Amino acid sequence: MFLQTVITGLSIGGIYALMAVGYSLVFSVLNFSNFAHGAVIMLGAYVGLALATKLNLGFGLVLAGSVAGAGIIAVLNEKLAYSSLRGRKAPSLYLMISAMGCAVFLENLVYATIGSRFYAFPEFFGRQVVTLWGSSVSLLDGGAFLFALLAIFGLHLFIRRTRTGIAIRAGVCDMTMCSLMGVDLNRLIAVVFLLAGGFAGVAGVFLGVKYLVYPTMGWVTNKAYIAAVIGGLGSLPGALAGGLILGMVETFVSTYVSSVLRDVFSFTLLIAFLVWRPNGLMGIDSEDKV
Amino acid sequence: MDYILSIVTLACINMIAVLGLSIFTGFTGLFSFGHAAFVGVGAYTSAVLTYYYPVPFPLALAAGAAAAGAVSLVIGVPTLRAKLRSDYFAIAILGFGEALRVILENLGITNGARGLPGIDDHTTLPVVLLCLAGGVVVARNFLRSRWGVACVAVREDPVAAELSGVRIFRTRLLSLVVSAVFCGLSGGLLAHFLSFIQPVMFTLTQSTQLLAAVIAGGMGSITGPLIASFVFIALPEALRVAQMWRLVAYGLLLVLIMVYRPQGLMGYRELSSLWGKRAGPSAGRRP
Amino acid sequence: MNSPAAPLFSVRGLTKHFDGIKAVDSLSFDVAEGSITGIIGPNGAGKTTVFNIVTGLYRPTAGSVLFRGESITGLRPDRVVRRGIARTFQNIRLFNRRSCLDNVMTPLFQRERCSFLGSLLGTPSTRRMERELRERAVGLLQVLGLERFASTQADNLPYGFQRKLEIARALATEPSLLLLDEPAAGMNPEETRSLADLIAEVRERFQVTILLIEHHMDLVMNICSPIVVMNFGALLARGTPDEVRADPAVVAAYLGKGRGRR
Repeated sequence: MFLQTVITGLSIGGIYALMAVGYSLVFSVLNFSNFAHGAVIMLGAYVGLALATKLNLGFGLVLAGSVAGAGIIAVLNEKLAYSSLRGRKAPSLYLMISAMGCAVFLENLVYATIGSRFYAFPEFFGRQVVTLWGSSVSLLDGGAFLFALLAIFGLHLFIRRTRTGIAIRAGVCDMTMCSLMGVDLNRLIAVVFLLAGGFAGVAGVFLGVKYLVYPTMGWVTNKAYIAAVIGGLGSLPGALAGGLILGMVETFVSTYVSSVLRDVFSFTLLIAFLVWRPNGLMGIDSEDKV
Repeated sequence: MDYILSIVTLACINMIAVLGLSIFTGFTGLFSFGHAAFVGVGAYTSAVLTYYYPVPFPLALAAGAAAAGAVSLVIGVPTLRAKLRSDYFAIAILGFGEALRVILENLGITNGARGLPGIDDHTTLPVVLLCLAGGVVVARNFLRSRWGVACVAVREDPVAAELSGVRIFRTRLLSLVVSAVFCGLSGGLLAHFLSFIQPVMFTLTQSTQLLAAVIAGGMGSITGPLIASFVFIALPEALRVAQMWRLVAYGLLLVLIMVYRPQGLMGYRELSSLWGKRAGPSAGRRP
Repeated sequence: MNSPAAPLFSVRGLTKHFDGIKAVDSLSFDVAEGSITGIIGPNGAGKTTVFNIVTGLYRPTAGSVLFRGESITGLRPDRVVRRGIARTFQNIRLFNRRSCLDNVMTPLFQRERCSFLGSLLGTPSTRRMERELRERAVGLLQVLGLERFASTQADNLPYGFQRKLEIARALATEPSLLLLDEPAAGMNPEETRSLADLIAEVRERFQVTILLIEHHMDLVMNICSPIVVMNFGALLARGTPDEVRADPAVVAAYLGKGRGRR
């Protein structure tokens, strides 16, 4: 029972982490909470769904297409809704409100055009189950978890090792300085959103395969956001740790306390972290730039 | 005719909540993605009182408003005392609103997510207009009072406000409670107008609508948000626009305002000032 | 107006560290009641930091602030104001989108006891009090020559008048000690001279002790006595204008000798 709970918690946590990475990436560079991320995840899932059902593509191609689609959507989102605010150095709160507007807009646009129907992905993995130390793990959950770890590790390497990654890290420290040093900020931010969008695409497909695809599926990202806050907004290892911790804690609360209280508990955790430890477990110091 | 009456009633009920949020957001300078939860608390409290107990309607309304004010203390005290970053505060109150909704969905007395049907329909247009007019007068008096002046000072410059003798925490908290009371009243009226309430009527989406009205109408203005809120509710209702297309428009509107006109329609002005002469010499700004 | 035995205000061993940098370094000085005391020193000497500590915006690393013989160290800013200390800011901080009158009304209101319910209902007594405060605010604006701007939005005021409005707002808290942070910054010599007269007039009229930070040496040498000289957060000299002018350490600090300027 205990081990089963741990495994379930980890597999949920892996998906949370995959989504939380998108929040953290954007926050680390632009210092605001991009609530449109959930809507991008949802759109990524629809892109994947279209590829899988209309074109009958295999899982790998579906994933790649969804990554590309969500990446482009995220970049467009930044260009249209944030870049001019960024240009006039608006308070981060305004960016957040704009992001909230995008989320409401995109979600309801899908709702109004595609409809509120729930769609299912074709069964890529069947319902295969692996037995691990006496507890069962579905192949999907295990795969999602491993893939999440690999993707986050890959992103980590990208940011540590490549030129663009180093430019992003410099941008995190000081945007003005960075542009003085000849880094093209617009390109840099586009790359950040492309990466965040790519992760949204992956998360969208996994969510869609595990559950279903529908306009408000992006709301699960509320949880991912909480995970990012717990880990420390702006920190990639924090997003991973926060996702796993939240996944575990939630599973334990719903198994041993009450499944009703689970969400109340998570939101309380969010408020508690914002009030007492706004930099999370691994976050960097950031002052309000109003 | 009945149809138009009901649209106007609904719009005026919404205006009371927007009035409350504009005190908090427009005049005190704090943003909230959770005020629909206070509308919900007011709605459920008053509805439960008239539904299960023989409590007279006015008393139930007052109790709903008071309950919303009391609940706002629960989130207001820790977050406002900690002087959170403005966006973190907005998120904390969002989390609070969502948590409250989950609680409403799981209580026995609220009949859970299925909602509470068959609430007496006490709310009529005259009642709503009376509440709205009273609300506008009280809001205006509040903003002219010692406390309202302190709210605006905190919005303009918290440090200078504190050094003018303003207690920041208390001022912000009071502003939150006052705005929650307005929202609670609006909720009570709503419950007894629709005679059916459900937790999903008080979610982030509704909070965003309230905030959109305040921002679009204009920060630091009472008339602006009221006009915006009336237009937001009445226009799509009259044109029979489907709910989802309305939300598409609200979302787009929020983005457009932030990008092109963050001060909103009537930023820092009132309707009356448009007719009055612009007072004072407009001397050059500092270099 | 002779200095009595006990000073109105003093700092004792005041120290403030920022990440290992000593912004203020065991600073001690007194301010006699009724005086206009000047604080001078090179940029970065820690002058404004002293004001920020005194008014409760910063908590000192060590040391204490005494006002009327009582410690006000670490008190919250609004409490400090209630004790009778007001200040202006080097980088003007007005309530920008409010009228000049409202700027001055804000602190006046905070000193009144009002009934909350009465205010909400707009009872005649609240209205009367409001009118009374308005008259007092207009009076304050008049003293500073701002009455014609009463309904002008603060950020539309010309620069020099914004500084005066800040002084009016500070006076509205009815202080017994007024801290002015570079009141003449950005003013031309003529404006500076008239500001000097104004400061002297304010002291007479409101019976207020003044402590001011300034870089305009003419202003400081004309109206301040004593003068406190700070360098690298520490006290360099203290005395009358003539004494300070003659002090070799002060001359060295200002001419960039010795430890030099940062």
